[in-house]
Amino acid sequence: MPSPTGVLAPSLTTFTRSVRSKGVSVESSIDNLVSLFKRRQIRDSRPCAVATAQLLRRVVETSKVTDISKLIERVRQIGQRLISAQPRELSIGNIVRRVLGVIREEVEEDREGETSGYSDAGTDSRPQTPKEQDSRTPEPSTLSSRSLTTSPLRHGEMDSILEEVGDERPQRPPLLTSHTSYAVTNTAPTVTSMFSLLSYPRSNIHSPTATPGSQSPSIHLSLSSQALANAGAVKDLKAEVVEGIHEILEELNQADDQIAGYALEHIHSNEVILTHTSSLTVQKFLLKAAAKRKFTVVHAEAYPNHHEATHADVIGRTKSESDDSLSSEVFQKTLTAAGITVVLIPDSAVFALMSRVNKVILDTHVVLVNGDIVAAAGAKALAKAAKLHSTPVVVLSGVYKLSPVYPFDPDALMEDGDPSKVITYEDGDFVDKIEIENPLFDYVPVELVSLYITNLGGHAPSYLHCIINDHYRAEDLDLDISDVYQ
Amino acid sequence: MMPPANVEGGSLLPQDPDSPKDLLQNGAKEQVVPAPCDNTMASEGNVKGTNGTQQKAKPAKGSNDGKLSGKELKDKAKAEKAARRAQQKGGQPGQQGQPVVDLGPEMQKHSDLKGPSVTGATSAQKFQHKRTGSASGGFQKPIPFRPAQAHAAPFPEEPKRENKNVALFDHLYGNPRRTTLAGASKDVHPAVLALGLQMRNYVICGSSARCVATMLAFKRVIEAYVTPPQNSLPRHLTTHLSSQIEYLVSCRPLSISMGNAIRWLKVKISEVDVSTEESAAKTDLCNAIDNFITEKITVADQVIEKEGSIRYEMATKFKVIVVDSRPLFEGKNLARALADLGIEVQYSLTHGISHVIKDATKVFLGAHAMMSNGRLYSRVGTALVAMTAREADVPVIVCCESIKYTERVALDSFVHNEVAPPEELLIQGETSSPLLKWLDVPNLQLLNLMYDLTPAEYITMVIDESGYLPPSSVPFMQRLSVNS
Repeated sequence: MPSPTGVLAPSLTTFTRSVRSKGVSVESSIDNLVSLFKRRQIRDSRPCAVATAQLLRRVVETSKVTDISKLIERVRQIGQRLISAQPRELSIGNIVRRVLGVIREEVEEDREGETSGYSDAGTDSRPQTPKEQDSRTPEPSTLSSRSLTTSPLRHGEMDSILEEVGDERPQRPPLLTSHTSYAVTNTAPTVTSMFSLLSYPRSNIHSPTATPGSQSPSIHLSLSSQALANAGAVKDLKAEVVEGIHEILEELNQADDQIAGYALEHIHSNEVILTHTSSLTVQKFLLKAAAKRKFTVVHAEAYPNHHEATHADVIGRTKSESDDSLSSEVFQKTLTAAGITVVLIPDSAVFALMSRVNKVILDTHVVLVNGDIVAAAGAKALAKAAKLHSTPVVVLSGVYKLSPVYPFDPDALMEDGDPSKVITYEDGDFVDKIEIENPLFDYVPVELVSLYITNLGGHAPSYLHCIINDHYRAEDLDLDISDVYQ
Repeated sequence: MMPPANVEGGSLLPQDPDSPKDLLQNGAKEQVVPAPCDNTMASEGNVKGTNGTQQKAKPAKGSNDGKLSGKELKDKAKAEKAARRAQQKGGQPGQQGQPVVDLGPEMQKHSDLKGPSVTGATSAQKFQHKRTGSASGGFQKPIPFRPAQAHAAPFPEEPKRENKNVALFDHLYGNPRRTTLAGASKDVHPAVLALGLQMRNYVICGSSARCVATMLAFKRVIEAYVTPPQNSLPRHLTTHLSSQIEYLVSCRPLSISMGNAIRWLKVKISEVDVSTEESAAKTDLCNAIDNFITEKITVADQVIEKEGSIRYEMATKFKVIVVDSRPLFEGKNLARALADLGIEVQYSLTHGISHVIKDATKVFLGAHAMMSNGRLYSRVGTALVAMTAREADVPVIVCCESIKYTERVALDSFVHNEVAPPEELLIQGETSSPLLKWLDVPNLQLLNLMYDLTPAEYITMVIDESGYLPPSSVPFMQRLSVNS
């Protein structure tokens, strides 16, 4: 995973190492991560997500709880601590919710094993594609196929999925009812034997072809705490949860490549593509297309916060400055080396060039449930210019960046950067007299975005909430300390 | 608007290390004493005189030289010398670090100040001055108080490299901007030589400032001009000016306002009665230029200022948000000036525009030019600001002198624009930036666009010296200002 070369400052790499070493207690790992978040030593969506997943994996691994509901509660509490340490990094919350979802799912599956009479088809609590509803072809449950199950929607199935939207909705209980439904459905049968769990074929459990129609949400989504407490197969569940978290980590690693896989569907020959700031996701996407097609990339440098990274992107990185990356981004080929003409421009020239740009491809920091995105500062003006020129704006985002949080107060998600990047110390005399504004992010409303491409494929803005609903359990939506966003 | 007409920065240069020998020679030839002369005006007069004679002398000499190559060589060498000398004289701003703003009286003071420090030089230079006035070429005695140096810093050989021009803007690149004075026509007046470099280095920057500086420089040119025999002033002065303009263009493309002003000046010159005495004609022209500057820019600015600021006199408290952009950071100066006046200033770059617009109640824009189809041609990034403001329902007001109106129309920022050298995008003072290697990276291009075009829809109102008008009225006003 991370290269141990010369990373001295605390970062994701050092955290990864420490969280894996047996010598470090879980509690200190948690504290460590909380302080890393607070000090912004781990920042940006992916590093935050990776760190959170790693920590939670450790937590689950080392947990001695025999009671699943306690495990859930513990993960939840840790999650809340992490989120409050850095409430603007929504990907932390996303991962916590995903992990909670994995735990709940495993428990449910366990119960399914016991109560197979209940539903003969669906074992997955998440709604699946209707296409495959009736063709439940059992698949060998390898790791990779399981990672697919976490995101079972594939490109091309969108239309049928869209039809299904209406049907799926009622299956998801609204946010608060989940608690009430606990009490109501206490009668749900419980898993009592781990033998039956083992005997249950995993291919069924993890088949991506489970059907949503066969689920009865009142049962599946409403595990009572008592029911959980009674679960006997905690230990094996634990192993499976760890597996599940591992898959999330895998997904985090693969997301960029998966997104890049859709590149050829979106880039045609001789196109002029405008992108903004430095982003591995966009770079991989364009590189993938560059292998087959010739086009021109206009790269706005995102001065003053990201221009250095952007410059490094177009020139090619020499040293491993991308510390927080767990992939090979250090050795990423540049677009220019792939034969693509790259034109580097200052942000101000965006409007002038927009009329000749065919597509704008943006990376994002986070995607909110209504489709609004938080992206690097300057993106909003860029997207607006694109809109005025009727240029499509494509947002690339891993599913892990899709947040179920509704932005009641977008300003709370904004962050200001180092003012000395705008006015350096050479101009110190007039720093005293003026106020300097250096926002790190822009809040780009959904109207300015034409298309989202996640690792599951391309999605219309209106469809985004479905994907989000697929990935997070209703019970976990209110995970946040809600006052942050309200 | 201040007119930083830096036309005679001569006073700066005695210590300039560049090519002393040439300086000596040239100084002699043209009798432009770099600094220490105590009466600038006098020395200027000398310059004029010799300029005229030189013009005559040179062609003759050229024809005497039978061999073409030899002649060319000599011409070139001469031009180089002339250039360097003027550089010495004009004070290349890059070297001196500070733009010199000096008009007549200041100039005097300046040289007075400098005078004592370089007294030693005076005699030598006077000597030189006498010598070369008569015979060009031959005499090459190094000035004693400066280290001799052969031809200083030949311009660096351009290594063969891939075309780094952005294809969309290929038509705008033209010749690379002049970096040295070498090769400048000998007819070019030192004041103009200096001005060209100052424009190139953005020491004089901004449509109005450049216009004023050009007119002041041309005033000097006219003052120094002597009509050659068998020529009339109205006819020959125009061509003489043309060579000055050609040089300026080679430093940086002319601004619209400069174009308008030059057109006006040429008309004025052509209107001069042939029978008028030369000195009288020159005085008339100079006065006309002064009036022009006052009327079109100084007063226009005052009027615009008044029109724009009525509101502020009543409501005393306001805040200014300056949105700046790379690479020139011109807004810094504005922010500094405003802050010095005690106005509350907020400063941000283009990336923060969506944030700062929330606090803004009005957006004021400067202009490079207003196109006849109502579009605003201004520093790149202006369109983004105007667009954001319009989207946020904030009125966008353009302050623009009528000298900047042009009959030209434009639909996009591609056909007519200026592409500045991409090296300017490299971040100043950063030695470790990976971008420094950009020339070695194939397929990588840097685009340093100077202007963009703001659609007329984003502009609520234009303020010029005649009042408020919608952008659609620009062509009428343009016609008026041309006819008047």
